[in-house]
Amino acid sequence: MSTNEHVHKKKLTDPPKTIKFKIQRREKEGADARWETFEIPYRRNLNVISALMEIRKNPVTAEGKETTPPVWDMSCLEQVCGICTMVINGRVRQSCSALVDDLLLATGGNIVTLQPMTKFPNVRDLKVDRTRMFDHLKQVSAWIDLDGTYDLGPGPHISSEVAHERYVYSRCMTCGCCLEACPQYSENQYIGPQAIAQARLFNMHPVGKTEMDERLNGLMEENGIANCGNAQNCLEVCPMSIPLPRAIYETNRDITVNSLFGWLKK
Amino acid sequence: MAIKFSTTFLLRKLHQVTGIVPLGMFYFVHIYTNLTSMNGPKVFNDHVQDIHDIPFLLFIEVFGIFLPLAYHSIYGVLISGEAKVNVLSYAYTRNWFYLFQRITGIFLFFFLLFHLLNFRFGLIPGLNMTPVAGHAQEAFQIVSREFQTTWIVVVYILGVLATAWHLAYGIFLFAVDWGIVIGEKAQRLTLKAALALALLLGLVGVNAVFSFVRPCGLLPQSLCEAPRFNRTPTAPARF
Repeated sequence: MSTNEHVHKKKLTDPPKTIKFKIQRREKEGADARWETFEIPYRRNLNVISALMEIRKNPVTAEGKETTPPVWDMSCLEQVCGICTMVINGRVRQSCSALVDDLLLATGGNIVTLQPMTKFPNVRDLKVDRTRMFDHLKQVSAWIDLDGTYDLGPGPHISSEVAHERYVYSRCMTCGCCLEACPQYSENQYIGPQAIAQARLFNMHPVGKTEMDERLNGLMEENGIANCGNAQNCLEVCPMSIPLPRAIYETNRDITVNSLFGWLKK
Repeated sequence: MAIKFSTTFLLRKLHQVTGIVPLGMFYFVHIYTNLTSMNGPKVFNDHVQDIHDIPFLLFIEVFGIFLPLAYHSIYGVLISGEAKVNVLSYAYTRNWFYLFQRITGIFLFFFLLFHLLNFRFGLIPGLNMTPVAGHAQEAFQIVSREFQTTWIVVVYILGVLATAWHLAYGIFLFAVDWGIVIGEKAQRLTLKAALALALLLGLVGVNAVFSFVRPCGLLPQSLCEAPRFNRTPTAPARF
């Protein structure tokens, strides 16, 4: 199997002279959304963020109307922080790793549509408030209590299999792609795959296991794991390739064994 | 630490269980009885009579079928209302299946209401007014008379197809929601088995519909000889 996919990648051979960016704008939270289109000259190797920077230099719409520079979040620019996540051409992803050439190849046109994620409060333009994902982590106690009144000594040994599996879950960057693509997720209705995978990460840890009931209780609240609809969009959109459905189903088993049938052990 | 179940959690688990036991189990019995119509009115009516002879029938009907069905269908429609369908942006197979499960569920809510009023109670004015319940020896005739109307046959074909999908995929969903099937490979295999079951239930279901119109349904009649041992000696040996 070839590991050098970039060598065979299709290239944009006949690029357009200009690219249009159709951006959903919003002045502030609660204000009405509106669309504005910007046109910038084509340049090779643009990503969505560099295109947005180009627009910001001269915020004039394609119709010639002067406007405010579009607002968006960014930080690492290498798809590990997750903060620049937005809906690009109808699909949620990180804007730093969304290459304009690839987008134009996929659509065959010269228009790129940018929207903020729809499942989070829209602060302004493409910027959203993702606080609720951190609230979800609190709900499922996604941590391990280490500090005590005395030295607990070195932690227990973890087999390489478990370490390997946990590593995959630890790659979550709380970007919100899974929640955006999930047809069951909305505020207070479903906690979503992100927090379930983090609960799984800590339930797998030999020390974290002692607090498993607390995490399972968090996951059995009104907005808990039972609201999963098994559409598995989370698996398809996760930029870190985390097996989110597996985390959900492993946790389902923990709940069935420990919580639902736990009374059979009494 | 004490285990705390939320109401939603318990309602969801109950919804998943009622779909399999008793409703799924009942459906297999139901489709079996329907398929006996392939062997003619006498055989079918005898099977319907057997159901009438079950002890505690009313109790089983109310607690084993009506109540679970009412709960499963009403709560199911409520769950479907939560869906923010996005198959156009995220056109993945499993996302389509998620949508199918809800569409078939909502369709079955209305279909089963119609089906119960039509045959179990005989309460739809203008259509059949004799309930099959209590009239076992006329059961085949009641159904086949109703199936002379094309749109009713179409409705029932849609009904058995929707049930075939909803039950087979529902069994798969139960397996993942209760943590029985976890891994990707296991899911692929189980999903294939579920789709095969959907196909099988759909095919025999459609044939059961047609066997009320034509002996042996869509299959060649030579496959459906009347059974050698009829319980009543007066029964015809063949169609």
